[in-house]
Amino acid sequence: MKIIRTILVLVMVMATMAQGRIKLVALPERADSIVRLDNPQFTLIEEERVLTLQQGVNKVDFSWKGVNIDVDSIRLSVIDHPDEVKLLNVSYPPNEAALVWEISSNQAREETVRISYLLGGIDRLVTYKAVADKDETQVDLKSYIVLRNFSGEDFDNTQIVLDYGQTFMRDIRHEETKQLQFFKKTEVPITKIWTFDARSMVWDPETVPDQNIGIPVSYRIVNDKKSKLGDNALWDGKTRIYQNDGHDSTIFLGEDNAPMTPVGEKVELKLGNSRDIVVTQRKMDTKDINKIFTKESDYRNRRLVMFDREELITAKIENFKDKTATLTMIQQIPGEWEMLDCNMKYTRKDNNTIEFEVKLPARSADGPAKKELEMKYVIRHIRANQQPRVINR
Amino acid sequence: MKIILVILAMAMPLLAKVDLTTLPGRDSVQLTIYNSADLTLARESRDLTIRQGLNRLQFSWANTLIDPTSLEMQPLARQSDIDVMDLTFPPRVRELGLWNINSEVSGKTPFEISYFTSGVSWRAFYMGTLSEDEKKMILQGYVNVSNNSGEDYENAQVRMVVGDVNLIDRIAMLARRQYAYDNPVKMLGQTVTNTALGDEKLVGNNFSFDYAMPGMGMAGGRGGVMKKLKEVVKESLSEYQLYSIEGTETIRNGWSKRLPSFKPVEVPVKNLYKFDDGMYGYTVQRFISFKNDKEHKLGEVAIPEGMIKVYRNVDDEGHLSYAGGSNFKYVPVNEDVELALGSVEDVVVEPMLMDYKTANYRFDDKGNIKGWDEVRTFRFELKNTRDVPIKLEIKRNFDSSYWTISNEGDYGEYEKIDHDTVKYTIELGAESKKVFDYVLTSYNGSRIDEYIKK
Repeated sequence: MKIIRTILVLVMVMATMAQGRIKLVALPERADSIVRLDNPQFTLIEEERVLTLQQGVNKVDFSWKGVNIDVDSIRLSVIDHPDEVKLLNVSYPPNEAALVWEISSNQAREETVRISYLLGGIDRLVTYKAVADKDETQVDLKSYIVLRNFSGEDFDNTQIVLDYGQTFMRDIRHEETKQLQFFKKTEVPITKIWTFDARSMVWDPETVPDQNIGIPVSYRIVNDKKSKLGDNALWDGKTRIYQNDGHDSTIFLGEDNAPMTPVGEKVELKLGNSRDIVVTQRKMDTKDINKIFTKESDYRNRRLVMFDREELITAKIENFKDKTATLTMIQQIPGEWEMLDCNMKYTRKDNNTIEFEVKLPARSADGPAKKELEMKYVIRHIRANQQPRVINR
Repeated sequence: MKIILVILAMAMPLLAKVDLTTLPGRDSVQLTIYNSADLTLARESRDLTIRQGLNRLQFSWANTLIDPTSLEMQPLARQSDIDVMDLTFPPRVRELGLWNINSEVSGKTPFEISYFTSGVSWRAFYMGTLSEDEKKMILQGYVNVSNNSGEDYENAQVRMVVGDVNLIDRIAMLARRQYAYDNPVKMLGQTVTNTALGDEKLVGNNFSFDYAMPGMGMAGGRGGVMKKLKEVVKESLSEYQLYSIEGTETIRNGWSKRLPSFKPVEVPVKNLYKFDDGMYGYTVQRFISFKNDKEHKLGEVAIPEGMIKVYRNVDDEGHLSYAGGSNFKYVPVNEDVELALGSVEDVVVEPMLMDYKTANYRFDDKGNIKGWDEVRTFRFELKNTRDVPIKLEIKRNFDSSYWTISNEGDYGEYEKIDHDTVKYTIELGAESKKVFDYVLTSYNGSRIDEYIKK
């Protein structure tokens, strides 16, 4: 133990108390210890020590140096004889990283206690590696804990625990980082998705002639039994995705930060952008109709209070790939609106957002596979003194 | 060689002195290099002699640009008997990792180690040579591979990925961190330690275009035998293309190498000129247009983004004139290509407003104006002073959705691009002129309602 953390058991002679604290030398070795990493912000250390207790009240001194322990987090539990050995109180000596437990025991004995505390500077990351098959229908998924110990403390033969998956017995030195594979699932089904989001992406690639407008491509994984997962929430972590290349090797497809994914939920991981699907969206027509003005006698004083804006949007979708693809197309129509005409089926995700699933065949010898969305809608505009406010959430 | 793998034999399980037993070299190495990011996936195989029980392998990569978070090791044989237990980045050393491997068996076993490195890059480069009549262009494609990774890669299988991969962190940054996975305790003044490589700008920018490259010998025997140009095998994977160079290459640190990526093809091309004041101002832009398809003797695979330099044959003796250069974007199979060669003065487009008037006034019952039209006559004078025929595209934007247009003169097809933009496409013969007028009527006030009703 390089960093001094001592437990001293003091046999109390009450009369000498006024002189200050007397430390007696009884340095019990750490028995089992656990580094528990199920809280992403805080790391809980649990260690067991055997205390040699006298009959009566014992003072046990717990002090530390060079490590960052949250004093309020320190707990002591009596393991062997909880009914006969009682923690009476805790006191904190001035200007010291220490505390003193008063423990009463009905007889002299060796008692195992468990000390728990939150230790700073030690944490973990979770990372994933997914390898997709050549057809992109499933992945082999591995997850790793990366334990980073910058706490100031060395741990010998300590149990490393997340909340599920494998646990490990390891030595962990101060300033050491250790990567451990804690689960592996094979043949986890995936869905490949292409997304065009008209809210954030360039509509017309012709307006940026020297650049490709990539269509984001993701793999969707559902954390459920059907997908050979679903036992636990999947921790958030950086995920690197590879693909078998059919030549006994892999290529790297891309990486994304996976969010925490509860059981039953899906996660979408972005690989990169496809430049083989091209969307060209344009506003082909816009006109203001059904205008209503105030009734001022002078035309110039009349104010426009209501009108409808009719818009025609077209979106040409071209698939230059030699494979089929399903494009999710997200369109936004704000406020109070009505669809007048639309040549494709959509689902309304919320008041302002509609979503299309466009199945695209592979390209043919004649050229890319083409589909074109045409939608005509009308948006009501109101310019009253008191405008009704649309609350979206 | 800076990447070193050492097997540590241990007399005692913990805290024991370690003996260095073997130093196995690389048996083969494969580099998969990306062009959209400073990223290369390296995969090497090494035969390791392992013992039954716990084995420790030390892997170090001082003065290279390896991303430690990408390190992975796996046995290529006896996988069920060999357990790669963990990977440790020990305290107070940089650029070193230790694998603990538990084995049920002993003996020589092939292992694969893979990692990302920064500093190896590739890019596509093209040369176009137009025929004198500018109806055809010989297109030559090359790939340039550069190595500034700090490591020499000998006899490497070189593969290149064309694709736009999503990266959360730059590999060069991950490679330069002091701790493999950073430090959760953020201390002031604690920064990334520099490797000997220093400036990142080096990466991917110091290309050499020389054919003669001593020190970059191709693998295989030397001697008087004429060598064939290497084939580049292209295939598509996921949303990307994978280019594999036949055989192996030796690419030493600091060197770059250019290889042809396809055989020169003679592509039928069109001389395209564009006038679009919204995009380019009042200048005419020149383009060479063709299609990545069979008809244009292409269309097998997508063309990766890259720089092109275009020349023109000026006589029968093979003398050249430089027409211009540009970057062209990734071109999928069957997609149109437009290579921008910049603004020109030998094709002239002069737009003029020839007439302005208002018409069709509407009044309310108090006599106020509530609606009117604006009528503008524009004249376009087009001159092709070149000795070859050209195609010209003129885009006009009207800042209004309520308009009608009528044309007069030598106008071509006109296409509505969107609610306030049209495009004229006009063919012009060699050394010829055309003039056309268009009359644009735009509607205001209550005339808009009449326009909508029509």
